[in-house]
Amino acid sequence: MVRKVSIVSAVQAAGLTKRFGSLTAVDHLSFEIREGEVFGLLGPNGAGKTTTIRMLACLISPSEGSASVGGYDTSKDSLKVREIVGILTENPSLYEKLTVYENMDFFAEAYGLSDAQERSSRIRELLEFFRLRDRKNEKVAKLSKGMKQKLAIARAIVHNPPILFLDEPTTGLDPESAKGIRDLIEGLSAQEKRTILLCTHRLEDAEKLCNRMMIVNKGKSVIVGTAEQLRSTIDSAPLLRVVLKGMNQRIIEAVRGVRHVRDVNVENSASNLIVTVDDLAAATPEVVRNVVQAGGEVLSVNPIQPSLEEAYLKLVKAE
Amino acid sequence: MRIQKAMLVFRKDWRELRRNWQVTLPIFIMPFMFSALLPSLVVLIRAVAFVPGAPLGGLATVVKNLPSQAQNELAGLTDQQALFYVVSIYFFAPIFLIIPLMASSVIASDSFAGEKERRTIEALLATPISDSELFLGKILVSFIPSMIVTVASFLIYSTVVDVFSRTIFNGRLLLPNVIWIILIFGLAPTVALAGIGLTIIISARVKGFREAQQISVILLIPILILVFGQVSGAIIFGPEVVAALIGAFVGVDLLIFRIGVRLFRRDEVLSKLA
Ligand SMILES: Nc1ncnc2c1ncn2[C@@H]1O[C@H](COP(=O)(O)OP(=O)(O)OP(=O)(O)O)[C@@H](O)[C@H]1O
Ligand SMILES: [Mg+2]
Repeated sequence: MVRKVSIVSAVQAAGLTKRFGSLTAVDHLSFEIREGEVFGLLGPNGAGKTTTIRMLACLISPSEGSASVGGYDTSKDSLKVREIVGILTENPSLYEKLTVYENMDFFAEAYGLSDAQERSSRIRELLEFFRLRDRKNEKVAKLSKGMKQKLAIARAIVHNPPILFLDEPTTGLDPESAKGIRDLIEGLSAQEKRTILLCTHRLEDAEKLCNRMMIVNKGKSVIVGTAEQLRSTIDSAPLLRVVLKGMNQRIIEAVRGVRHVRDVNVENSASNLIVTVDDLAAATPEVVRNVVQAGGEVLSVNPIQPSLEEAYLKLVKAE
Repeated sequence: MRIQKAMLVFRKDWRELRRNWQVTLPIFIMPFMFSALLPSLVVLIRAVAFVPGAPLGGLATVVKNLPSQAQNELAGLTDQQALFYVVSIYFFAPIFLIIPLMASSVIASDSFAGEKERRTIEALLATPISDSELFLGKILVSFIPSMIVTVASFLIYSTVVDVFSRTIFNGRLLLPNVIWIILIFGLAPTVALAGIGLTIIISARVKGFREAQQISVILLIPILILVFGQVSGAIIFGPEVVAALIGAFVGVDLLIFRIGVRLFRRDEVLSKLA
């Protein structure tokens, strides 16, 4: 039996543009998110990330361009789009005068969970997961910031949406809760094949969770690609870190003598060498051999990858 | 249009409203104010202005301008009875239009502009509830409580008037009468809807509900014109006038709601947050 493999796009944006008066907040963005993918949206404050999400969720209409979500056109089939999308908005956007449970109950029904039994068990499950169960009869106004954030995430997934837009889900959360959310996102994507658009300022989250990401700046797309592809835009010479048990001038000179080595520096922790080379594959064995011959004891040898942060900063600055 | 979705919005707003004293307190106070206002006013007029045997004074013009049907009503009454009759049946009629107007616009400004101000509108607009369902739910939550308050005020007012009229008119009860029933159940709803419609239009343009409420106060001007018109004897709330007013307000409602629906484009609400 041959399984039909189709790469369906869950979200497609074509020339998406939003102007607020004279300001162009989103400037002809075109991108595609594949089904089951976690797609990161990165960029500095005011880059237009939230505005992009709002257009995709049919909250504001684009000034130009179009988008389709789950196969539905956002301008023609907005009701359908809103049914299949779960959104975590930038502000928690909860009713402060209503209790935790009342908030969940309202949104669950609004998203089509019309059966009371089904609704209450789904809400119970979510409140349990987000550790809000013993707060369920408290007014939202009394919750801490992080609890509100969790409640807003619970609301976003209450109807089991196949497509999720998460605008900075881990802001305001303690490290443990933030990890809980990362695990949740991983689970939703890996086990349940949800499509997730994740907007975040935490590059390590993006690197860990996103299959691909897009950096936007001043409304324009700077680059789309995997973390690997983003990193490779930093075209500096490859680096090698050699950790030694002891260090002396003879070792340094010995490494300098290797053919592919361009520069050798001692890292602040005194027994680490940072070696700039032409070609990692050619240089690494020879560097190790020369160190050993000079009487050095090698603890570890690792190529140094440029970090996503470096790539990000460079890409954003280049604009 | 799915009615149960509109009712869901209605129930949510109703629950929020009940817990919002800033909005409910003034609305609750209104009926008591009017039921207290009447007796004190009547007592005051009797003590200060009414001298047995003297003509009706300023009221004479009002009485002269009353429709002939009302003139007949006054025939054979003593001056004191006529005074009470004119004040309680005619003078207070336009004041009872202030109640639905104020109540509905206070609630509507909280429901539309307030939700925008508190930033809860974004999650609401993201739900698969259609514009018309949202619109209907929010109109109902402004309309139903303001009509409840109006009818409650009317019941209290009728009781107070009847308590007085029993002694002044030897057991005769003046309210409810046909004009007042048409006023409360015919005219007041159209006035409440006009208040809601205008508030929605204002809410689409302003940031917060306080601002919306302040601007909504201009709605009182036409009603106050009716009040003064009545006191000066220029307009009298006879059946023709009430019928004409209902016609006029239905027209105003239709116009206002057409504009309101256009302004309440959900994709415009968030663009104009600032
Ligand atoms: N309703 C609005 N009216 C006017 N300007 C707006 C509106 N919403 C956003 N903007 C402007 O559009 C630009 C993009 O804003 P947006 O909120 O999309 O940025 P962002 O990438 O989400 O930023 P952050 O990382 O700070 O959340 C900003 O310059 C912002 O001031
Ligand atoms: Mg944002």
